[in-house]
Amino acid sequence: MANLPTVYITASDQHRNGKTLLARLLADYLMLDGRDPFVIDTDAPEGPLRNFFPGRTALADFAVMQGQMKVFDTILGSPGRDYVIDLPARHMEGFFKAAEELDFFEETRRAGFRVILFFVVDHSVHSLKSARSHEHIKAVDLFVPVINEFVGSHWPLREGALVIPLLPQALAFAIGERRFSLRNFVLGDPQGLDESDQRSLSNFMYNVLDAFGNLEPLMTIKQLR
Amino acid sequence: MKPTLILVGADKGGVGKTTISRALLDYFARKNILTRAFDTENPRGSLRRFYPNLAEVVDLGNVAHQMRILDTMESANVPVTVVDLKAGNLSYALDLFERIGVLDAARNGMFNMGLMHVVGPSIASLDEIGEIAKYLQGVQYVVGRNSINETNFFEWDEVTHRKYFSAIPKAQEINIPKLNEMAYEQVDVAGVTFKDFIENKAADGSQGKFSFVLRGYVKKWCSEIDDEFHRVQMLQDIVSGGRSPNLA
Repeated sequence: MANLPTVYITASDQHRNGKTLLARLLADYLMLDGRDPFVIDTDAPEGPLRNFFPGRTALADFAVMQGQMKVFDTILGSPGRDYVIDLPARHMEGFFKAAEELDFFEETRRAGFRVILFFVVDHSVHSLKSARSHEHIKAVDLFVPVINEFVGSHWPLREGALVIPLLPQALAFAIGERRFSLRNFVLGDPQGLDESDQRSLSNFMYNVLDAFGNLEPLMTIKQLR
Repeated sequence: MKPTLILVGADKGGVGKTTISRALLDYFARKNILTRAFDTENPRGSLRRFYPNLAEVVDLGNVAHQMRILDTMESANVPVTVVDLKAGNLSYALDLFERIGVLDAARNGMFNMGLMHVVGPSIASLDEIGEIAKYLQGVQYVVGRNSINETNFFEWDEVTHRKYFSAIPKAQEINIPKLNEMAYEQVDVAGVTFKDFIENKAADGSQGKFSFVLRGYVKKWCSEIDDEFHRVQMLQDIVSGGRSPNLA
């Protein structure tokens, strides 16, 4: 997607609307694209992402100073690669407040990063309002609203959003298993899925990967403006 | 412009005197104003640890040392002299300065003089203000309430507070805001100035390895202190070089 090292942030003001699935898809996409992302799960001690990306996930509790140091200092201490930060709803405001107070985005820019913010907008009015208030953060290079078809959304379709298509419930459950690798599935390992599920998941993955792939031209257009 | 002598003192230890001296020196450094600093915590000098090239350790009771501070006020051509008085030494120092004519010299306009009185949250701290009031004519008096360690000034009820303050003309009050403990510790361990810590410079001048997050918290804290110092007339006179900011 991005040729420059990029900090991807997946966020939402609401719980349980597919934010972590989005972070997972993103990390898998980046690896399929030959990049070397590092994932930061700020929801310690939970940290579901570590199960999917052992060895390339750091757990940090953003509520405490050590956690903030782990997030910001890790990124600025090793620039030159991609980072995916999964922000749970309860830390979102704190994260953006700290980032602003500490001039974090200014510093990432200086270190050669771009910043892309994915915001899952669900069907609550609050979520739409919260998305609107994060849409124009100055230091963010690209704001991507995300619609998860499973939970629905109030984001106006014509304004262009990244869509996570609906998956059959049994299939959604199956890929949620910690041993299931979406990347290996794309690379040809069905990991025990039957043919019908394989077809559904293939469609799903190609839609999502395509959407990620379309962000780069979007970014270029935005910069040209 | 007339030089300014700023005393930083408290009659009690552990109220953050040296922190405020450091914050002052740092403030002037950020405003590109030359300073001299004296640390009376003879012979060790904790201020000197942070400002090895700037701070000189002196013994106020020693006449030669008194001369080093006072006789050079004008000749040194440095606009600001900061003296960090060791704990418990405030009344002694003011009394000494009264006896040897320093306070009179300031009253007669030879130089400007300020006292930054750092106080803790207790009533005893307020009593100190009463004790030193008699020396303060002609001295710009600033009470620094130190919240750096999240001190709670619960004993300072309004009435008692006013009783002490009304005795002193031109008294000003500032609050030193709280700094995150971890950030404060790291600056101390590094033994550098707040400014160098923010700029990620180690004590030997090389590139530091300080946490970005902690540097950010120190930077934010410094800007909060700036807001407080902006309210102090004596400091603004120094920063504006004696010109009124309205005319500048």
